[in-house]
Amino acid sequence: MGFLEWLEQTDFGTWVGESLWAYPFFETMHTIGMAMVIGSLGLINLRVLGYKSDLPIFATHKLLPLAWIGFTMNLVSGLSLFASDAQHFWNSYTFRLKMVLIILGGINAAILSRRVFQEPPAGAPPVVPTGGLKWIAASSLVFWFGAICAGRLIAYLP
Amino acid sequence: MEFLVWLEHTAIANAIRTTPWMYPTFETLHYVGLSMLVGGIMLIDLRVLGFARQLSLKSMIGLLPFVWVGFIINATTGSLLFIYGATGFGTNKAFYLKMTFMVIAGLNALAFDLAVRRATLDWVSADRPPPYVKVFATLSFALWLCVVTTGRWMAYR
Repeated sequence: MGFLEWLEQTDFGTWVGESLWAYPFFETMHTIGMAMVIGSLGLINLRVLGYKSDLPIFATHKLLPLAWIGFTMNLVSGLSLFASDAQHFWNSYTFRLKMVLIILGGINAAILSRRVFQEPPAGAPPVVPTGGLKWIAASSLVFWFGAICAGRLIAYLP
Repeated sequence: MEFLVWLEHTAIANAIRTTPWMYPTFETLHYVGLSMLVGGIMLIDLRVLGFARQLSLKSMIGLLPFVWVGFIINATTGSLLFIYGATGFGTNKAFYLKMTFMVIAGLNALAFDLAVRRATLDWVSADRPPPYVKVFATLSFALWLCVVTTGRWMAYR
């Protein structure tokens, strides 16, 4: 018996799949976490692109706790949903695409946090996003919104 | 009920029923709109409540156009999805709960908007939201979570 099959048959996996409220509960949690991640990272990326330029760019890192809370909620709820139907998800190309998009979004977020959120030394001018950083921000928006779309379409596409 | 049956047989409903890509597309856009609408509102509410103070209250309230774009996407896609499944949604308790929460959230947002416009002591620029505005922000946060929850629960009555 493979790992995925085992996962589905654990007490937890069967509980999520069969309980009347567990699946919708984790789905709801996944949706709320999604809004938190998109709200916070979306604004950071838009700011790097030049939107709301009156917000100090360095200070947008104050939004990161919200992104982390949302991400953690979605990791927990996502793993729980995955456990209930592991083989189906794993074999879905749309699910795999979603995972790739999340990894790319995460790499971009890590690069941005190294380049944008480092507090400039006292008296130094604030960071002005270069073309390279703007490409990272723009592609991040594509990755995160792409992940939402792929996630929804797991139910419809192979 | 007759109205719901009629809705379900309009040309739009038939088009959605016979074109395989339409329903998944509208549903997906509903999630994109949701993340803009609820993501944006959460940022504003949390900021009013004191989160991320280094970002000015005025700029954060200035995210409202972004929220409106999300709302328009969702009002449009939501209406299309409703027309397609009118008799199902029209008898769905979770749907009525969702609409109720949306109306209350809308009135609450209106109250917040009035509080911003009628502010005699410019609390927005001064970054000193009065206590009653913090109540609006807390209610807004809770109400939109209820909208998302009941919306998600519509699939499991």
